[in-house]
Amino acid sequence: MNFLTPLFLLGTLAIAGPILFHLIRRTTRERTVFSSLLFLQPTPPRLTRRSRIEHWLLLLLRCLALGLLAFGFARPFLPKAAAILPASTESKRVVLLVDTSASLQRSGAWETVRTRVADWTRRLSGIEELAVLTFDRTTQSRLDFTAWKSTAPGDRVARIQGLFQEIEPGWKGTELGQALIRAAELLNEPSTGPEPRIRQIILLSDLQEGGHPESLQAYDWPRGVELILDAIPVRPPGNAGLQPVTEEPASAGPGSSNAVVRVRVSNTADSTQEQFEVGWLAPDGAGLLGTPLKAYVPPGQSRTLSLTVPEGTPSQRIQLRGDGATFDNTVFVTAPPPSQARVTYVGADLDGENRQPLFFLQRAFPTNSRPSVLWTTRPADQWSPEEARNATGLTVVTAPPSTGTAAALREGVQAGGTVLWVVGAPAGAASLGELIQSPGLTATESTPGSFALMTDVALQHPLFAPFADPRFGDFSRIRIWKHRALPTNALGDARILARLDSGSPAMVEVPVGRGRVIVWTFGWQPDESQWALSSKFVPFLLSLLEYSSALPPVLQRQFQVGDALPLPAGDGGVERRVRLPDGTEQLVSAGATQFGFTDQPGIYRVTGGGSDLEFAVNVDPAESRTLPTAGDTLERLGAPMAKPETPAAEQVQRREELQAADAEGRQKLWRWFLGATVLVLLVETAAAGWAARRSRGMMEASA
Amino acid sequence: MTSAVQNSNALVSPSALMRIRNLELRARVVVEGFWSGIHRSPYHGFSVEFTEYRQYSAGDDPRYVDWRVFGRSDRYYIKKFEDETNLRCLLLTDQSRSMNFGSTGYTKAQYAATLAATLAHFLNQQGDAVGLLSFDQRVREYLPPRHRPGHLRQLMLALEKPAGGTATDLVGPLEHVTELVRKRGLMVVISDFLLPLDRVEVTLSRLLAAGHELTVFQVLDPQEVAFDFAEASVFQDIETGRTLYVDPALARQEYRRRFDAHRQALVELCQRLGARQIPVITDRPLELVLFDFLRERARREVRIRGGRR
Repeated sequence: MNFLTPLFLLGTLAIAGPILFHLIRRTTRERTVFSSLLFLQPTPPRLTRRSRIEHWLLLLLRCLALGLLAFGFARPFLPKAAAILPASTESKRVVLLVDTSASLQRSGAWETVRTRVADWTRRLSGIEELAVLTFDRTTQSRLDFTAWKSTAPGDRVARIQGLFQEIEPGWKGTELGQALIRAAELLNEPSTGPEPRIRQIILLSDLQEGGHPESLQAYDWPRGVELILDAIPVRPPGNAGLQPVTEEPASAGPGSSNAVVRVRVSNTADSTQEQFEVGWLAPDGAGLLGTPLKAYVPPGQSRTLSLTVPEGTPSQRIQLRGDGATFDNTVFVTAPPPSQARVTYVGADLDGENRQPLFFLQRAFPTNSRPSVLWTTRPADQWSPEEARNATGLTVVTAPPSTGTAAALREGVQAGGTVLWVVGAPAGAASLGELIQSPGLTATESTPGSFALMTDVALQHPLFAPFADPRFGDFSRIRIWKHRALPTNALGDARILARLDSGSPAMVEVPVGRGRVIVWTFGWQPDESQWALSSKFVPFLLSLLEYSSALPPVLQRQFQVGDALPLPAGDGGVERRVRLPDGTEQLVSAGATQFGFTDQPGIYRVTGGGSDLEFAVNVDPAESRTLPTAGDTLERLGAPMAKPETPAAEQVQRREELQAADAEGRQKLWRWFLGATVLVLLVETAAAGWAARRSRGMMEASA
Repeated sequence: MTSAVQNSNALVSPSALMRIRNLELRARVVVEGFWSGIHRSPYHGFSVEFTEYRQYSAGDDPRYVDWRVFGRSDRYYIKKFEDETNLRCLLLTDQSRSMNFGSTGYTKAQYAATLAATLAHFLNQQGDAVGLLSFDQRVREYLPPRHRPGHLRQLMLALEKPAGGTATDLVGPLEHVTELVRKRGLMVVISDFLLPLDRVEVTLSRLLAAGHELTVFQVLDPQEVAFDFAEASVFQDIETGRTLYVDPALARQEYRRRFDAHRQALVELCQRLGARQIPVITDRPLELVLFDFLRERARREVRIRGGRR
């Protein structure tokens, strides 16, 4: 027999009451008549050696009544052998989604993940379908439903545990949104057996702020899919991270030859640290070079620091000290590649005379500027057709070359070159016509009354990209004193890039083969216009350099873990080698344009095939944002949260309780016990009365 | 009381006395016993002078020598003139139910009645007028002091009535006495005085203030004094019926302390008021009680005579 409320059985302890009372009650019914009780006080009854129980029957009846009452209140029932509810009648399909991003590298986090995975697997070992996915920037399937079904329930836990012994958190960032979508889609796939009633995603993650759950914003969750969050706590909380700010070292300033790297120190709101040090790490990793920079960063804030690249000892690592979570405390920096443009200048002012076109061109690109310009100057009358034919990059012509040279120049332009032709005098129009195959092209000198202004500037043209912003797109302050008027109809497919307010073209682009000729109808020197003195001159020239492909392609050098590194084309079909930060090397085929095995932060060096490049790969800055707020974000984005799962033992217990309550409710044995109690009490009352009458009779007889 | 008296064969034990059913006879036995033993030494300091006899001295008329007393005592005593004795005595006997208690085979009431009868017989013999007022919580019977033929018989009959009542109240009956009895006399209160004494003092002082002479007999049972019960029991108050479970072994000491304090309080009360107080245990031979009574009266007379001189 079992009891629904066994606590009431404690009431049987009350049986001690009647026993005690029978013992300590006044063992005598004798009465002594006394003259006066004036001087007497009652003696409390006590248990003595002489105490003995009288009226055994009464005592037994009273004890029985108490016992029956206690049993009745304890709600007894006879347990049935058959279980009403089986262990679980609900079919379930679960995806265990485990975070393996860089933030799980923090101390103790991965051990907690392994433990939680084992717990969940134990709890779910009996369900029909379970899959395991891990995610960081991408989502990987570790165990699919088929593999789960094929594993015996008794072996499932061991299999999962074995799986996770081989898995470690990586260095990549987190794409939580994408991972959840993938898991949801997996749950939504049609089942081979009966459709599961419960579909759940169990997410094991530190739910960091920088987990990018935003991609769920527009996601339409499949019906019936629930999300259970199992947040992985990390102690101590808080994290400070170091991120690169600039792409590559910049100049420290005018007059300084040192390069400067800017880094950001960010501190999460739950951090307990505020004081940090930042410095260049010694090549042997033993310590920081020189005097590190001190940084005070309150929780929830960030600070940008500028570190001068040390001379002499090369270092490619900047480290943050003072933070316990070290996974994001090192930034790798590569030395910038040389950026140099080749420009050929053909003109009549090669002496660099003041106030002449070349003078201003060279001043626009000082020697140590970036990009630097390698000038090739040729006198216009001495520039050979051979040289003109081979001109690559950008060619600036301010004086017409000799006859035949322009035609040769055309070949170079057709091959993809760019020429900036300044019509300095009407006589130069003929050479221009030769270049752009517009024979008989003439130009007339035009001197406006005071000055001309530019209008109708094609701001959408790449040349004017720096001026696309309306704040910078006002050319009305640049005055043009002299210009040459070109007949527009003689320019063929030319595109007018800008006009003067008289309607005459100011700048014209004439496509020639794969190249182009940019024609200015005026010079930039002060004699002709204010262009050289304008703030727009240098940006225009930089645009021109880029537009003309005079600058070598700028390769991005700063990447994040998981990014594919762009590889330049190899020379001659030669394989290239990529040395990884851990010292290992991988071969890359000649035709490969990308290297995708960036699983660890550090410097990746590509050599061979004419390449010698270094790439710096760092941890995603978002991984430093470890404040565990992603759970709130997921709720806000409408993720369908499930109610917390009760542990299996609790479920079993609850089931048993329900069975017990059901059995007791049907049997209602308590009624029999209470009835028996009433019966016993009636018998006890009768017996007590009979005993009292008997003892009274005996007393009267003795008196 | 000396041990010689206790062991004397001349004294009738109360338990044997109580076997005499007739109260008057009992009284007579006590008085006769008192007289027959009077010549013996047990009655230390006893003098017939404080009865209606005085010792013969030279010059007294030999015609008044009581030869019966001479026959008993071998001494010459002159019978006093009646006017020398002229005593009016009222016996106030407590007949409440508490007097019905007794552990000696007879109750305090029987003992008190015998004592009252003894005193009445003795005083009547002496030619004194004796009356009776019996009470429980109120006056039950009143016989004014007389010295007439048949009055003693009436008195005895009244004394033979059994004790009743549900409480002891001296105050009411005693206050009644002050209204009933105008002439001064001797008031003899026979009670166990098992009641709070504070109000009693006021009433007794009124009696004394009225000029009466007061003698108080506190009649107690030996068990009331010693509380020698052996077994724990439910003790029931004989008057009120109230019960208490008492283990005598545990309660004895405290009982005796409180009981003795009560007795002492009565003694002090009587001393304060100038009344005679004679404690009587019901196992004491009545002759000795009579002796105590007479001795106390003699001492008083000596004081008075001494005062008059």
